Amino acid sequence: MKKNSLHTIMVALLAVFAVNVATAQQPHVYINPGHGGYDSDDRNMVIYPFSQGDSAGSWESKSNLRKGLALQDILQKKGYKTSISRVTNTTADDLALSTIVALCNQSGADVFYSIHSNATGTSSRTNFPMVFYRGYTGSPQIPNADVLAADLEPYLYASQTTVWTHNYQIWGDWSFRPEWGTQGYGVLRGNHAVANLSEGSFHDYIPEAYRLLGLQYCWMEGWNISLGADKYFDRLGNYSQGVISGNIRDDRIKRLQECAQPFLVYGDDNLMPIHNATVRLLDDNGTEVQRTQTDTLRNGIYTFKFVNPGIYTVEVTEPSHFTQTATVTVNANASTYQNFYLKRVRDTPPEVVEYGPVWSEGDPAVKCSTPITLAFNWDMDSLTTCSAFTLDPPVEGHFRWEDSYYRLIFEPTDAFDVNTLYTLTLKKTAEHGGGTPMEEDFTLQFYTQPRNHLSELAVFPYEGAPVHLKTPTVELRVDSLLDTYNLFQRLRVLDDEGNELPWNKRSIKYNKKGDDYGFVRIPLTRDIEAGKDYHLILDVDIADTAGIHLPAARDIVFHGVDAGANKPGMAVVEDFENVDNYYAYTGNIYIHEGHGLPLTTSTDRLFGSKSMQLVYDFYNDAPVIISNYAESDINFNLGDTVGFHVWGDMSYNKLYVSLSDGSIAYGLPSVTIDFHGWRYVTLPIEGVPDNNYKFYGFMISRDHELMGKDGGTIRFDNVLKAESSGIDEVSLAGLKVMCEGDYIVASADTYIQGMELIDMNGRTIKAVGSNCINVNGIAPGVYLVRVFINGRTSTQKVRL
Amino acid sequence: MKKGFVILLALAALLPAMAQEVEVTSLTRLLEGVEGPAYYPVLDSQGSRLLFLSESGALKLHDFADGVTTTVSRDYVAGHDACFGGDGKVYFVTQEVGENHLVYRTGNCYDVLTGKTAIVTEAQHGAVRAVPATHGGALKAPVQSYSSSTDIGSAVWTEGSTVHVTVNGEERVFSPVDSWAGYLWASLSPDGKRVAFFAAGKGIVVIDLRGQMLAMLGNYEMPCWYNNDYLVAQNAKDDGHQFTSSQILLLKADGTYSTELTKPASMTMQPTSGGGKIVYTTIDGLLYEMKINIYE
Repeated sequence: MKKNSLHTIMVALLAVFAVNVATAQQPHVYINPGHGGYDSDDRNMVIYPFSQGDSAGSWESKSNLRKGLALQDILQKKGYKTSISRVTNTTADDLALSTIVALCNQSGADVFYSIHSNATGTSSRTNFPMVFYRGYTGSPQIPNADVLAADLEPYLYASQTTVWTHNYQIWGDWSFRPEWGTQGYGVLRGNHAVANLSEGSFHDYIPEAYRLLGLQYCWMEGWNISLGADKYFDRLGNYSQGVISGNIRDDRIKRLQECAQPFLVYGDDNLMPIHNATVRLLDDNGTEVQRTQTDTLRNGIYTFKFVNPGIYTVEVTEPSHFTQTATVTVNANASTYQNFYLKRVRDTPPEVVEYGPVWSEGDPAVKCSTPITLAFNWDMDSLTTCSAFTLDPPVEGHFRWEDSYYRLIFEPTDAFDVNTLYTLTLKKTAEHGGGTPMEEDFTLQFYTQPRNHLSELAVFPYEGAPVHLKTPTVELRVDSLLDTYNLFQRLRVLDDEGNELPWNKRSIKYNKKGDDYGFVRIPLTRDIEAGKDYHLILDVDIADTAGIHLPAARDIVFHGVDAGANKPGMAVVEDFENVDNYYAYTGNIYIHEGHGLPLTTSTDRLFGSKSMQLVYDFYNDAPVIISNYAESDINFNLGDTVGFHVWGDMSYNKLYVSLSDGSIAYGLPSVTIDFHGWRYVTLPIEGVPDNNYKFYGFMISRDHELMGKDGGTIRFDNVLKAESSGIDEVSLAGLKVMCEGDYIVASADTYIQGMELIDMNGRTIKAVGSNCINVNGIAPGVYLVRVFINGRTSTQKVRL
Repeated sequence: MKKGFVILLALAALLPAMAQEVEVTSLTRLLEGVEGPAYYPVLDSQGSRLLFLSESGALKLHDFADGVTTTVSRDYVAGHDACFGGDGKVYFVTQEVGENHLVYRTGNCYDVLTGKTAIVTEAQHGAVRAVPATHGGALKAPVQSYSSSTDIGSAVWTEGSTVHVTVNGEERVFSPVDSWAGYLWASLSPDGKRVAFFAAGKGIVVIDLRGQMLAMLGNYEMPCWYNNDYLVAQNAKDDGHQFTSSQILLLKADGTYSTELTKPASMTMQPTSGGGKIVYTTIDGLLYEMKINIYE
């Protein structure tokens, strides 16, 4: 009896010893599935068909928990001791970070894994595994935490069921989040275990969000973390079974973009995942070892768990695709990946089921921008289908596929020719994705309209235009209504260094239905600089509502000028600080046809404090007259120059300057209002009797059939006078004007104060304060050169 | 107390009188200019000495009476979860990673009088924890545990989802509330009659020595007794990755009253209390001593 008791005690002691030894050698892993509770500190990705807040949808807490529970189960099978911070997904067990740390410390765990998935927090999308430890990168605060991380990441990154965009990353949290100082991640702070926080992938990469919905995918991440633990504890050789996992996709049908917004996809994520595919694992006798099925959550993932090492056949069947098999080798405690790209069963020949344009003899002609569209009953093979496509007469263009190769679109690079009968033939050599050709050729014909490009009616600034520096306005006018969608992105103003000048989208004016022509008017929000060149860029794809675009892109060079600069040698005749002496009318007031118009002052001026402003409309196409009651004391004579400052609204009306000899008023044609903003205009007095004249006012007439407006707004500031020298201008102070290459050069016996280049419409093209004008880029033609010298002017014609 | 050792913060930094019952009378920065960042403060029951983890990772002891700060240990994690025993000694655990990357933990006892540290439990794999007791201290471990004497008086600690209460040498184990993840932070009231602890997912629980639940005080952390009727605790918030704020609360042990002692600002404040003092730290490692008046 005593012997038996002693034996019993010895056995008991040995049992206790064995338990203690086992405990002493059994690694203890604390698992923290991050977040929890479907609540405010959780992460919900809204993906079709789930709505915001739907717990059946994509939540980081849910996939983290699935990974954590899988890891717990796998580690226990592998002989580990485990602890886990939560096993359900409620707010109550979404523990505070400091609680999780204290629980881990109290458990005496050797290592700690906090399991998460990542998000960019931006609109960009990416997908790769990351892991963090406490401290700066390379200097972990917890010894060996960097080793634990380095042992984990290669196993996560080895997964071939996902699409990685970058290699894995290992960070110290103090380096990754420098804005947090040394606070770091809450579950790593104060944690005594060798601790990692693993961000296994990016859940805001939408295909990954769908994968994370899948139990089998989450299980695989748990398995891969277990391999990292095995590597860390040198236990890779301790477990005898392996796993097989893979992704099953269609070999060419594109993934459906079912979310509210199109989402980015990389690599094979472009292909459609296969739902409800049956996957069987067969041993070398063909006996089924395991069977699984892909889910309907748009991920195509399958996994065979705990498989004995050996050579197997994986067989995938799905009714709408051909069955595929693959031979795989399973190794102990290792992952085997085998992806499948299934070919669809296409059991009839391909044919065109819809097409466009639809036209037959007698129908209205087709717009020259209309793309050709062919829709098929099957997804088509791109190479054989595009090769079978011919147009007569041929047109340069490009092909585009839509709807996973079900719809082919041909778009001409420029446009179809006008008034042309086109014949399209799609030869029967076109094949669907399964390699079967069409049974017969397909043809269609269409006849094109007589217009194939957008015509530019006017643009400001035009080539070489002098543009006043104050927040210029850009305007393009074309012969039909513009398609305004993103139109502002197709016009740019650049300075001479290529920097784009800003504008405010909300200030842009567009054509609207019923307008006589198409236009876009864009006020810049920044001043330009006088003396510098600028570029107005018009993209070729500026198009009308029918898709008819410009014939070519344009780069229009214009010049910054200060219209309000001091004009040497010019006397002020009128400053418009007070307009009480002026009146305006349209029609014939003597026979009481027409009406008076409101003349006011405006603070938009170049000089003093005011300018004169007239908001006008025409009466029966009669001109608008602006006259004064009290004439200036200053006389103009033949050969003198009258200068004035005018603010235009691109009305394309004609502006005249009125001079009066006391009995007759003469209107001198000066300028078409083809510009926006302020401009300085000069006009030699010629073609009138040799008499004394007073400045009398202005006249505006409607001058353009299409763009001439019924009315408009116009402003005037200082009217100036330069006297004629009264002698031969060419011999004035020995003045000579010569064209020298890209320059017009003036020389004289005395100081030359400045020069102006004026076109034959009286528009000042360039003004300089020196004796030479660079005419590079100015269109050839006849111009006037005005030279300011000793307070006088001399004007000469030059031919460029 | 040395001049300049403590600095009275501007009264504007204090919260105004809390409701009608509690008034913060002083808030004093501790060890300013003497120590760098300090974390995990632990007061003894008289409030006369303070343990903390220094910036360099050492466990240090500060004596309020003479103002001297002594380094107890520079070993890894010594400064975490150390405690004062009722015998005046300091009990703490150190750890190191051994072969096969298993973590081994060693129990230590520091004698303040001699300034010497004795290893009381050899390095062993698994959880080793220092437990304060009214007459001494203990190291609880899976293989080899330690008690400073055969009668360490009263002691409380948690393990898994149980709270252990030792009175007069008799150990009782209670699980008064369900908590999957476990219990933490057991604290014995100064009169030795009640135990407060934290049940994960449930919050602070107060029981008597027979395990009868007396009150649940809310989902706050790190409870410790301020006096026989009140506890201080931490109310921490996080976003799942990082602490976003925390504050110190005063809780009446019967669950009838609670008030905020600090604004919800600093993080992981780790409050401790003893001898009528409350000490806590900030995210930057600044130690503060708070004194309060409670008007019943």
